[in-house]
Amino acid sequence: MFVGSTPRKKHWTPFPAVFALLLFTAAFSFPQDTASGVLDLDGRSADPFRSAGSKIVVLLFLRTDCPISNRYAPTIQELSVRYAGHVAFYLIYPIKSESSDQIRKHLLDFGYHVPALRDPGLKLARASQVSITPEAAVFSPARKLLYHGRIDDWYVEFTRARRAPTTHDLADSIEAAVSGKPLSAASIPAVGCYIPGLP
Amino acid sequence: MTSLHSRLFFLLSFVTLSLSFALVTSPQNRSNLEPAFPASVTFNRDIAPILFHYCSPCHRPGEAAPFPLLTYQDAQKFARVIAMVAERRIMPPWLPASGDLKFLGELRLSDGQIALFRQWADQGAPEGHAQDLPPTPQFTPGWQLGKPDVVLSARKPHALPASGTDNYWNFIFTTNFLSTRWVSAIEIRPGEKRVVHHANILLDRLHSSRAQQQHPDDGFPGMELRIESESFDPDSHIFFWKPGSIPHVEPDGMALRLDPGDDLVLNTHLRPSGKSESIQPSLGLYFTDKPATQFPVLLELQNDKALDIPPGAANFEVTDEFTLPAEVQLLAIYPHAHYLGKDLLATATLPDGSEKTLIHIPRWDLNWQGVFYYETAVILPAGTRVSMRYIYDNSSDNIANPFHPPQRVVGGNRTTDEMAHLWLQVLPHGGAIPADQSRRVLQEALARHDVLRNPSDFSAQYNLGAMLQARGDYAEALKHFQVAVQLRSSDAIANNALGGALLALGDSSSAVSRLLVAVRSKPDYASAHYNLGNAYASLSRFDEAIVQFAEAARLNPQDSMAEANLGAALAESGNLAEAELHLEKAVKLDPQNSLAHDDLEEVKRRRSFSSHP
Repeated sequence: MFVGSTPRKKHWTPFPAVFALLLFTAAFSFPQDTASGVLDLDGRSADPFRSAGSKIVVLLFLRTDCPISNRYAPTIQELSVRYAGHVAFYLIYPIKSESSDQIRKHLLDFGYHVPALRDPGLKLARASQVSITPEAAVFSPARKLLYHGRIDDWYVEFTRARRAPTTHDLADSIEAAVSGKPLSAASIPAVGCYIPGLP
Repeated sequence: MTSLHSRLFFLLSFVTLSLSFALVTSPQNRSNLEPAFPASVTFNRDIAPILFHYCSPCHRPGEAAPFPLLTYQDAQKFARVIAMVAERRIMPPWLPASGDLKFLGELRLSDGQIALFRQWADQGAPEGHAQDLPPTPQFTPGWQLGKPDVVLSARKPHALPASGTDNYWNFIFTTNFLSTRWVSAIEIRPGEKRVVHHANILLDRLHSSRAQQQHPDDGFPGMELRIESESFDPDSHIFFWKPGSIPHVEPDGMALRLDPGDDLVLNTHLRPSGKSESIQPSLGLYFTDKPATQFPVLLELQNDKALDIPPGAANFEVTDEFTLPAEVQLLAIYPHAHYLGKDLLATATLPDGSEKTLIHIPRWDLNWQGVFYYETAVILPAGTRVSMRYIYDNSSDNIANPFHPPQRVVGGNRTTDEMAHLWLQVLPHGGAIPADQSRRVLQEALARHDVLRNPSDFSAQYNLGAMLQARGDYAEALKHFQVAVQLRSSDAIANNALGGALLALGDSSSAVSRLLVAVRSKPDYASAHYNLGNAYASLSRFDEAIVQFAEAARLNPQDSMAEANLGAALAESGNLAEAELHLEKAVKLDPQNSLAHDDLEEVKRRRSFSSHP
C-alpha cells in the first residue's frame, strides 16, 4: 500500500475531532502551539518548531525496530550535516511503546547526532501527513508543510532495494525550500514500516 | 630399485553454496493451519498459529530477522506490514514455485492464510481470547545440534561499515587435528545474524585461499571462490547457513573427510544495516565415527560464456543441457545467478520423453538464494537430459540492476558480473555399474561437457586433463594440459600437471622444462619440486634430483614419499649413509610406505656388503 505505484487506500479511523482539524489545517500552516504532547527524551514537553527559530524544519519519522529506517541512518545523518546551516532536523519516534532509553540506545548504535523527540500521541505524524518509517516532512520557516514522503527511491518495496537510489527527493525538496523555488512534488509515497494508529 | 612416483593435482572451481530453509520445531502441523475463514479474525486463535510456524523461527531475539514476532504486541505493531508482505509473497521468503516435486521445509503460505492476515490487519489487529493462544514455540538455545565436538572461531573480526552495498567476505579457519575426522555436520554461527544474508563453507585442503589474505587471519573479499583441490571429493558436500536454517546433518556414510591441517573457508554475504558491525563467525563441528561410503557428485550446468547482456535487454535467455551417462538419485538443487537473474527454470527430460520440472523460480532474488533439498530423492535414469533455461533482465525496470543506467554485463565472478549456474547434488545410483565407476563416468562426462562449453576455459581444460590422467589416459590428458598451459603459460599448477603427464609418457626432458616453469612461478610448490626431482632422477641426473627432493621435503616435512625419493636419489649417487637416514625418516613418517621399506632394506644390504666385503 505504500509502494509508489499503488494509490493510498482511503481508510477512515475515528479519532478526536481536534486531530482531524489539525490534519486539515496542517496542509496550510502549522500553529506553533500544536506540538504539545511531543516529548524530548527527558520527558519534557517539546516543540521542534519553536526551537528551530527561523530555519526550515525537517522531521524524520523513525522507529527503533524498522529495518528500512535503520538502513537509512547514515543517509539521514549525512543530510542533517549537509544542510545544518539552513535546516533544523529532528528525529521523531512515533511508536508509543518505545521508551526514551530505547531511543537513546538507538541513537548511539546508529551514530545519530540529531535531536530526537517522541511523538506518542502521533501529533507530529498527523500534522506531517506521514504514515511510514522512514518518512520525511519538510516545513517552511513559516511552518507550511512543503513536502512529505520518501527520502529517495532506494527501496522499491519491502525487502527490495536498489543498489543505490536514483532520486534524492528529500534533498531536492530541501534545496528548493532553501532557495525559495517551487517543489517538484508535494508528496511521494514512502516505503517502510507502517506507523500503527494512523490511517 | 629407485621407486619414483608422481602425484597429480586437480583444480576445481567452486562458487558459493547456501542452503534452503529448514524449519525449527513447531508445535503445529500444517493441516491445522488451514484457515476456516472466521467472521472475526483474532491474533490468538487465527494469526498466532501461522506466525509461530512460518515467521517466529527467524523473527525472534538473536536470529536474523530485524524484529521479533513472538507475541501479540510484536505482531500488532507490524500487522499491516505483515499483511502486505504476505500478499506480495515477499515473506516468508521462498523462491520456488510449487510443482510436482516437493522440497524440504517449504515456506509457502496458502491463499487462505494470506487472506487471514489481511482480514486481521483490516479489522484493527484484535488480540482475541487468551484461551485461544497456542503455546509460544520453544526454540533450542545456542548450538542447534547440541554441544559441538570442536568449535572454531575466526581469529580476527571483519568490520562491516554502516552503509554501502552488499559486502562479500571470506574467513579462513585453520584446523589442526591429529588424525582424519569424519564430519557429519558443521553449524555456522555467522556472528551478527541480522547483517549476514547467507554463509557457506568450502573445504580448502591445499590452503590455496591463504594467499588471498593481505595479512594472516585477515580474511579476504570476494563473492565467488576458486579453490584448488587435489581430488574431487569436497564439492559434493554442502555446509551452509542461511536465516532460519538448522544445520544439515549428512546421513551415515556421507560424512566429510577432514584431514589434519585442512582449511575451512567461510564465505559470507553481508548487508550493511545502518550501523557498523563487527563480524566474527564461529563454526561448530560435529564428528562421526562412520567414514564415508557414499560419495555424492555435484553436476554443474553452466553457460557463463553466453552471458553478454546488452543494456536494456529485459528477457535475455541462456540455456545449457547435459545428458546423464548413468542413473542418479537427485538429492538437492542449487540454481545460481546474480542481480540480473529474473526467471530460472530447470527441467529433466527422461528417456521415455516425459518431462519433470526440477525447479522453477519465477521471480529470482539473489538475497534469498539457496540449496533446495527434495523431500524424496528423484531418480533420473541414464539418458535423462537435464536442461536449464535462465532469463535475465538488464533493463532499468530490474531494481536489483547494479548499474544505473544499465550497462552491458558479461559473465564473471564479481558481483556486478552475471552467472548462469545450476548445481545438482546427485548420488550415483548404479544398477549394474558399481557406484564409484558410475561416479567417474559422470565426472568425466561433466568435464567433457565443460570443455565443450568453454574450450578456452583454463580450469575446464585442466580438470578434464586431471580426470583423464587419474584413470591412466596420459596421452589424452596431455592434450588438455597442453591447452591449459597455452592459456596460462606460466601457471604453476598446469605446468606441474603437464610435467607429470610428460613424465608418465616417458618424455622426461620435456617434463623437466615444464616443471622448471612450475617451480620458478611458485618456488614454494612442494609437489612441483617433487615431480622435478622425479624427472631428473629418470634422466639419471641424481645430483639435481637430490636438490629437488630435499626442497620438497623441506616444504612439506610430513611427506614420506619426498623423504623416500630423496633417500633413493642419494643412494643412486652413492651416498648410502645419508640415504639410509632419509629412508628411515620416510618409514617413520609413514610406516605403510612399502617402497621406502624396500629401499631402506636395499640400502642397508648394500652398506653391510660394502663394509663386509
